[in-house]
Amino acid sequence: MGRTVSNRLAAIGAIALMTGCSAQSAPGAPSAASSAAPARPAADNPYAALAKLPDWSGVWDPFGVRPPPGQAPPPPPKLTPAYEAQYAKYLAKNRTTPGINFVSSVASCVPPGVPQSMLEPYPIEFLFTPGRVTILIETDSLIRRIYTDGSPAPSDPDPSYQGTSVGHWDGDTLVVETWAILPETSPLNGINGHSDKFHLTERIRLVKPDLLAITTTRIDPAVFVEPYTTTAYYQRHRDWKIMEYVCQQNNHDALDAHGDPAFSLSHKPEQ
Amino acid sequence: MKIRDGFALMPVIVSLLLMGTASAHHSTAIFEWGKEKALAGTVEKYEWTQPHTFLWLLVEQGQGKVQEWGLEGMSPSWLGRRGWSRHTLNSGDKVSIVYYPLRDHRLGGFYVRIRLPSGQTMDALPQRGR
Repeated sequence: MGRTVSNRLAAIGAIALMTGCSAQSAPGAPSAASSAAPARPAADNPYAALAKLPDWSGVWDPFGVRPPPGQAPPPPPKLTPAYEAQYAKYLAKNRTTPGINFVSSVASCVPPGVPQSMLEPYPIEFLFTPGRVTILIETDSLIRRIYTDGSPAPSDPDPSYQGTSVGHWDGDTLVVETWAILPETSPLNGINGHSDKFHLTERIRLVKPDLLAITTTRIDPAVFVEPYTTTAYYQRHRDWKIMEYVCQQNNHDALDAHGDPAFSLSHKPEQ
Repeated sequence: MKIRDGFALMPVIVSLLLMGTASAHHSTAIFEWGKEKALAGTVEKYEWTQPHTFLWLLVEQGQGKVQEWGLEGMSPSWLGRRGWSRHTLNSGDKVSIVYYPLRDHRLGGFYVRIRLPSGQTMDALPQRGR
C-alpha cells in the first residue's frame, strides 16, 4: 500500500508541475516551493470525506454503564433445546453461587470472539480511515477491521475470532454485518459454541454526546429460535489511553483438565 | 496485627458482582465471592500484570513461622484508571487487606480493599454505597 500511495503522490506531483499549479497553495498552507511534498488537490484526498463522520474520538468504557432511563432490559433469549439446557445450567449456577459463573476458554487466555469481545469490562476505541472503521479492543489487544468502502464481501472467508465485517453509514449510525465467526466462541454469556451460520448485526451510534450505544442482533438458527438483540452502552473518556493487554503475561486462572475453573498459586520465588 | 474499625469487614457494603453488560476474564466461582475476610501481612511482591494484578503477602504465624498468600486482584486496566499504579504496593509494605477466600481453603483469594502503610484505604473492586 505504501508503494501505491507514494506512486500516486508522485503522479500528482508530476501533474502539478506540468500544469504549473504548484505555485498556487492554499492560504496558510506551506507553499510548494518551500515543501518537498507536492500539493495534493483536496478533492482527491480520501481523508477529506472523514470530516462528515460523527465524533467518536476518545476511549469508550462499558464497565458499569447503565442504560438511559426508560430502557427496559432485554427479555431472556429464546433458545433451541440443546442450548437451552446449557443456558439453564448457567442461570441455575448464578442463583446458587454469587459472582460470575460462565465458564469459557477466555479464562485460559483464548481471546473472546465477537460479540463478547465488545462486552468485556475494558474499553474500546474507534479509528476512522478512508473506507474503513477499525475498532481497537483493550481486552487481549484485539482488532476489528470493518470495511466500509463498498467493495464486495469475501465469499468464503476463513472463520476467525472477530469474524469478517463490512459496514455502512446510515446517517450517523454505523451498521456492521459480521459473519465467519469461529464456532467454538461464545455468542452470549452462559452459552459456548454456535454454528457456522452465526451472523451479527451491530448498530453503533451516539445516544448522548458522551454515551455510545451498540445494539447487537444475534442470528443463528442452531442456537436462537428467533434473532436475539441486546444493547450495551459505553461512556466516553477523552483522557483515557488504551493499555497493552497480553493475557499470557501472568494468568493464574486457566481452566483445569476437565474444563472447570481453577486457580494456580504457583509463582517464581523472590530472589 | 489487628485490623482497626472502619476498614475491616463491612458486610453492609457489598461489592458489586461485576454483572450486567460487562462480562470478565473468568468465572469467580473459585472464590467465595462476597464473603469478606481480613488478613494482615508484609508485601512480598506486587505484580502489576494482565490479566490480573497479584499480591503475594507474607503473613506471620508466630514462633518465626510465615505463610505466603497469593491474592488476585483486578487488572491494571481497571485499577490503573481508579487511582492505583504499580507503585501503590511495594515489597516490604505492612498492609491490612480484605479479601474473598478461595473455596478450597488454600492460602489465596481475591483482594477487595487494602489499607496502605500511610493509613489510606484503597478500594480494589467497585463498591456500592461509597
